[in-house]
Amino acid sequence: MLAGGVAIFAFVLGLLTAALVRRPAREGDPATGIWLWTLGLGLPLATLAALTVYGLVMGERLLPRETPDLVTVEAEARQWAWSFAYSDAPGLVTVDVLHIPAGLPVDVRITSVDVVHSFWVPRLAGKLDAIPGHVNVLRIEAQAPGTYAGQSAEFSGTGYREHTFTVEAHGPAAWNAFLQGAP
Amino acid sequence: MSNILRLSLPFTVWIIGFCAVYALQGIACSRHWPPGLDPRTALIAAAALFTAIQGLVLWRIIAAPSRTSFVQATATILGAAALGAALWTSLPVLSLTVCS
Amino acid sequence: MNQTGLHGTALRLHKTLARIWAPDPGWRGWLTTSNNNDIGRLFLCVATAFFVIGGLLAMLIRAQLATPGSAFMGPEAYNQVFTMHGTVMMFLFAIPFFEAMSMLLLPGMLGTRDLAFPRLGAYGLWVYIFGGTAVIIAMLMGLAPDGGWFMYPPLTSAAFSPGLGADVWLLGITSIEVSAIATAVEVVVTVLRYRAAGMSLSRMPIFAWYILVVSVMILTAFPPMILGSLLLEVERALDWPFFQVENGGDPLLWQHLFWLFGHPEVYIIFLPAAGMIATILPVMARTTLLGYGWVVAAAISLAVLSFGLWVHHMFTTGIPHLGLAFFSAASTLVAVPTSVMIFSWIGTLWKGRVRMELPMLWLIGFFATFVIGGLTGVMLAIVPFNWQVHDTHFVVAHLHYVLIGGYVFPMIAAVYFFQPLLTGRSSFFRLGGVAFWLVVPAFHVTFLAVHVAGLLGQRRRTWTYNEGQGWEVLNLVASVASFVMAIGFALVILDIAINTFAGLRGRRNQWNATTLEWAAANPSPNYGFASIPVVRGRYPLLKDPDLALRIAKGEGYLADTSRNRRETLIVATTTGEPSQVVVLPGNSILPFLLAVVTSTSFLAPLFKAYWLSGLALVGVIILALIWVWRLAPARTEGLVDAGHGSQLPIASETADPPGWWGSLFLLLADGVHFGSLLFGYAFLWTVAPNWPPPTYLSPELWPVVLAVGGAVALALAPRLMLRGIERGRVWPMLLMGAIGTLALGAAAASVMLARPDPASHAFDATLWLLAGHVAFHAALTLIMLGYLGLRRIAGHSLRVGEARIVGLWADFTAATSLLALGAAWLPGAFG
Repeated sequence: MLAGGVAIFAFVLGLLTAALVRRPAREGDPATGIWLWTLGLGLPLATLAALTVYGLVMGERLLPRETPDLVTVEAEARQWAWSFAYSDAPGLVTVDVLHIPAGLPVDVRITSVDVVHSFWVPRLAGKLDAIPGHVNVLRIEAQAPGTYAGQSAEFSGTGYREHTFTVEAHGPAAWNAFLQGAP
Repeated sequence: MSNILRLSLPFTVWIIGFCAVYALQGIACSRHWPPGLDPRTALIAAAALFTAIQGLVLWRIIAAPSRTSFVQATATILGAAALGAALWTSLPVLSLTVCS
Repeated sequence: MNQTGLHGTALRLHKTLARIWAPDPGWRGWLTTSNNNDIGRLFLCVATAFFVIGGLLAMLIRAQLATPGSAFMGPEAYNQVFTMHGTVMMFLFAIPFFEAMSMLLLPGMLGTRDLAFPRLGAYGLWVYIFGGTAVIIAMLMGLAPDGGWFMYPPLTSAAFSPGLGADVWLLGITSIEVSAIATAVEVVVTVLRYRAAGMSLSRMPIFAWYILVVSVMILTAFPPMILGSLLLEVERALDWPFFQVENGGDPLLWQHLFWLFGHPEVYIIFLPAAGMIATILPVMARTTLLGYGWVVAAAISLAVLSFGLWVHHMFTTGIPHLGLAFFSAASTLVAVPTSVMIFSWIGTLWKGRVRMELPMLWLIGFFATFVIGGLTGVMLAIVPFNWQVHDTHFVVAHLHYVLIGGYVFPMIAAVYFFQPLLTGRSSFFRLGGVAFWLVVPAFHVTFLAVHVAGLLGQRRRTWTYNEGQGWEVLNLVASVASFVMAIGFALVILDIAINTFAGLRGRRNQWNATTLEWAAANPSPNYGFASIPVVRGRYPLLKDPDLALRIAKGEGYLADTSRNRRETLIVATTTGEPSQVVVLPGNSILPFLLAVVTSTSFLAPLFKAYWLSGLALVGVIILALIWVWRLAPARTEGLVDAGHGSQLPIASETADPPGWWGSLFLLLADGVHFGSLLFGYAFLWTVAPNWPPPTYLSPELWPVVLAVGGAVALALAPRLMLRGIERGRVWPMLLMGAIGTLALGAAAASVMLARPDPASHAFDATLWLLAGHVAFHAALTLIMLGYLGLRRIAGHSLRVGEARIVGLWADFTAATSLLALGAAWLPGAFG
């Protein structure tokens, strides 16, 4: 995408430079056809069609699908903490640390009890807002066990900067141990 | 058709159709949608209806031309562009899942 | 006639017109003037002052972010500073600045003497000054809003922002939006009706097209925001739960209303700059614009497309993918008309021979910057990419590329380009070139660094950051470069100030431009043109360099000054055929006074002084009535001599006086406001979590009968009155209309009485707003009918134009009342 952007930028600025230094003897030929039909309409249409279709296909692939081994967790945001609950271990709540199994798809059900926040773990998925009264579901999957940094990504007042959390992805054994209540 | 209307109508129809289809999508995914009705069919029908109206507007512009040639040329560009826009923004309805 | 006699005629005409159009002497003149030159200059200076304030706030932000863990500001101060930076730049600088430029230039470009409603322009200026000053004073007192310029509730609701800051924002900014709407109405009517003789649509200067499109956008984009502010303010003040989930509200409603305004706003800011580019660039290339019709079509389509983008600011709120896909498709679509414009401009440069003067230099700065901003914009429109960079500094960098590159640079070009016309002087020192080479490179260094910081994950709106995340160097570079840029901007302002007071007297039309504004004297006098020019092409000065002289000698229309008043020409919208003579008002203190009471009614709720607010509202009504009464001419003149052998009617004696056109476009804004209210209601009904309410409102028979009967009576009365005016019988119709408004008022009251507690649920609160809409418009129409009655009692015969203006308002009231009450009763009627 960056390369394409740079190419278009270079092309436009190249044309601009040529237009600036050109010194036609007489008033030049308007050539509306080339300027407006080909460059004005054709160029963006071709580029955009490709880009948008790509975006839609990618977005559709990122949608949560039905899978049998799905794990569901609840993420509840407040000023300025995250608490996480687990459907596989009722009553278990962790604050500012989300535990998930590695290698399995996880649905995070995101909501808020006060103002609008946003759940964002850059290495696992894009962001999704936590909105009071609404539950938004985000599908994440950690390929390998480890710790992933997460943060709120919607301005929420004075404590916004410190409104972060971490995601701990466990291997199968550690995940079972966690669900049993062992830290 | 008055000249100002001729220039403003094509995209006005587009924005109304666009918002209407989006609103229908919102309602189709909400608690008010009758369970028996397939949301995708309804959305495709709505998008097709508005695209047809868009085509009608363009046809009216061409079939009953303005006496001012500048207005006629510009209105034709706008009518065609709005029809293109309507087709373009209808594409997602055909290709994507509706409520997820 | 010899040369001396020729100049004698022009001089005599100049002296008479200068006297007729002169402002009051002394400082009082500034308060009573309504001339576009005076108002425009004041507007421009005030907007520039706000630009300086916003720039200082930006410097505070960059100072804070220069190093990690900075102790310069805490989060409380930082949140106020970035909120105010965005608010000041968007509302107090960007919009007023282009309004000022168009006030100054538009009459000249169109070949008319002033804008359509000079006093409305003056009123808009004063409301803007009062509202803007109040916001700045609040900031200096530490009471600035701190919830971001987008003001998302519940963060900005009373529970989480108990202080005055949010109220300052909601009330102050709304008053400024009212001022913008006043100006927009004025501009639309001016472009459509006030032009040189023979200036058909296809001969209008390209800037007039752009500003016409932008003004219609203001009329349709600002009302949702005004509604949003109203909802949030009544929620904060009276606890009506529009955004509180527990009682049936939904915070997402705000985001929809805000971005319904917020996205078109970006184009409202960009299009005037584009209009300036399309005006200046061909002159700099010694040619004419390539593809005029294409550019007009591009401007119109871009304007409407921009209304289909609002949800792309809400891609992360959990809206279904299909919903996002619509907006993703529409978002990429706006690149098409933008690209048409860009290539039309490059093609223009291609066919001409470019001269590298200062305005051209700034336009090159625009191209280099804006194209990058557009490309990052397309990237942001792609949903998966957006999910990753939303709310990072990448977005900050993108929007500064678009806004500074796409707005500030072209506007600086415009100021330098039109400087000879505005101040009568041309550039003096070489300071302008130095400033350019400071601003543009420093801008790119600053915001390229910010782009990268965003891609590395630095979030917006965080007051500081920790060491070791790889952001230190980028931020330091951005901060240092931004200070260089600020020095450059300061030099630009200094340069223009020096030129204004000490520059060389320029000759007339120093750029050899081809449009009418350059036919005026240098600087443009208050009366604009000594006679209204006759044009026969799109570029009147291109083949007719003597036009300026002929205008000065009085060879156009309305050169006869014997009627001793401010007159200008109204033309047929499409053909530019002269059709009316309009008499413009003289100097008056009324706009200033009305602005004082309007601002009081807006700002009094800040101090919970609702009684004062109500009192001021009564003052608004009384002053408005005096204003209208004094403008209405006492006697009927019939046809008057307009020059060139034509006899034209006086505008106030026609069926479509300017007031009718103004009302039509004001009602467009009012209608969008009402539509937004219906949208909000439908939105809550569809998606708000705690719906349905405990009970719906079941309609009774008598209010339904009153509503329908009242609406019919109100719609019929003005129509019958038009016939009655011929026969001199108007009282029965006035009475019928009045009864109609009272019936509608009673129906509205029945809704409020049936649901006495609007704070109990969002449904009840919505009912009160719907009923309030009906009651307000019924009262307004009643006042208008009362005004007609008073005119009659005072012995004036009613005019068709007046009756048709009241008829417009009556029709609107009748139609929207039926819709409002129907919407209120509908859910209950079906159980």
